[in-house]
Amino acid sequence: MRASPYLLAIRGLSKIYSGVPVVDRVDLNVSSGEIVMVIGPSGAGKSTVLRCINRIEVPSEGDIVLAGVNMEGEPRNGKIVPDSPAQTARKRRQIGMVFQRFNLFAHLTALDNVAIGPHRVLGTPLAEARKMAAEHLDRVRLSEHMAKRPAQLSGGQQQRVAIARALAMRPILMLFDEPTSALDPELVGEVLEVIQGLAREGMTMLVVTHEMQFAREVGTRLVFMADGRVVEDTSPEIFFTRPAHDRSREFLRRVNSRQSAFDPV
Amino acid sequence: MNSFDWGVIWYSIPYLLQGAVVTLEISALAMVFGTVIGISAGLLSLSDMKLITLVVRAYVYFVRGTPALVQVFLVYFALPEFGLELSSFWSGVVALSFNAGGFIAEIVRSGLQSIDAGQTEAAKAIGMTNRQGILYILLPQSLRRITPPLTNEVITLVKSSSLLSVISIVELTRAAQAIIAAKFTPFELYALLAVFYLVMISALSKLSEYVEARLA
Ligand SMILES: Nc1ncnc2c1ncn2[C@@H]1O[C@H](COP(=O)(O)OP(=O)(O)OP(=O)(O)O)[C@@H](O)[C@H]1O
Ligand SMILES: [Mg+2]
Repeated sequence: MRASPYLLAIRGLSKIYSGVPVVDRVDLNVSSGEIVMVIGPSGAGKSTVLRCINRIEVPSEGDIVLAGVNMEGEPRNGKIVPDSPAQTARKRRQIGMVFQRFNLFAHLTALDNVAIGPHRVLGTPLAEARKMAAEHLDRVRLSEHMAKRPAQLSGGQQQRVAIARALAMRPILMLFDEPTSALDPELVGEVLEVIQGLAREGMTMLVVTHEMQFAREVGTRLVFMADGRVVEDTSPEIFFTRPAHDRSREFLRRVNSRQSAFDPV
Repeated sequence: MNSFDWGVIWYSIPYLLQGAVVTLEISALAMVFGTVIGISAGLLSLSDMKLITLVVRAYVYFVRGTPALVQVFLVYFALPEFGLELSSFWSGVVALSFNAGGFIAEIVRSGLQSIDAGQTEAAKAIGMTNRQGILYILLPQSLRRITPPLTNEVITLVKSSSLLSVISIVELTRAAQAIIAAKFTPFELYALLAVFYLVMISALSKLSEYVEARLA
């Protein structure tokens, strides 16, 4: 086995729901430190790709290799010996995921939402896990809200707790699935700022987003998906100024007309 | 109504009180065992091991699909066949625990499954195993939903214990029937019996309301 130079290698990934490939032979290699913005129309398969990476969804075909380790199992004699559920869970720790709808643990305070992973999964003593959780919450500027339950927090605050929760597991890769789509417009900025901060610190990320300005400014790379495929894989600058495909141009035209409705200059 | 025999009522009360003690003993024991069986089976029904979920499903299927009376007889006559000689009291406890366990398993399973799928996904995403997700994320959130049907099941249990009269356990119902056989006053005794059950179950309902209020 040749060691992969990539932090994340996706090869020939397909996901088929009742005969329909919603992800269709996707290849994507991500190097350490890259910030890959994934955009595309609804139903393009963006979420499914993310969910296949950490095996919340089991891929129908293809390999996901993270830091040289196959997420499905150990290769032996050209075949893959599938992992046990416990091994899969262990591999997942390395990947942080942030959901569109936050999915904070509803019965736990913000602090314990962040502490529970290190405590229960990594075996960190509770007091220590909470101390570290407090530091993570401080980083996303939520120190004053640590004792609150998710229902007592705004959407933007909840999403920042969710980011802290993922970071507390010290992942080597972060996946964001439309982290600001469920937020009121005035709360989008605070979440994007946190993600941008992470980018500056060198975290490797895949971010599915509809925030074009953000994708352009923060992304180091841009992947445009449609109909389950990667249509364009390029730099944000090139994609937004000289898109190579008709699908991309059409998508950008539609996005621009939608945004101008908010911002009639 | 003028033939109502108050004398036999006063005569019967001490006997029925003794029967009520047996009913409460059996119900309490079956409640403890049934809850332990039921919660375990309910948690196991979400296991990621197919065989385990199949066994649990078969158990629940059987308990829900057969009359409790048949289950009582089955336990009473089947256990000795397997070399387990139990007193009728303990046969009764086993039968009721087995029955309640099946229903409680179902209550727990549907409680766990009523929690938003996003919670399970988030648990997985931070590296929790299926078991950790169930224990630390789903179970605590479903407790409040599980409690009302669970206390309901306890009340059903007390009522079902009257079935044990058929295997000659002198619980409340059997105690009343014994007096009827001797005194031929079925109306008085069944009326009194109903009052006894009503009092016990009302007390239980109050208790469960209190527990639910504390949990809310
Ligand atoms: N569990 C499922 N069963 C069947 N079909 C599914 C399932 N999950 C997703 N799909 C389908 O797969 C396609 C791709 O879905 P996906 O959520 O990945 O798209 P997306 O690019 O994230 O879209 P959006 O921008 O709306 O979030 C959609 O047509 C969707 O209906
Ligand atoms: Mg999506």
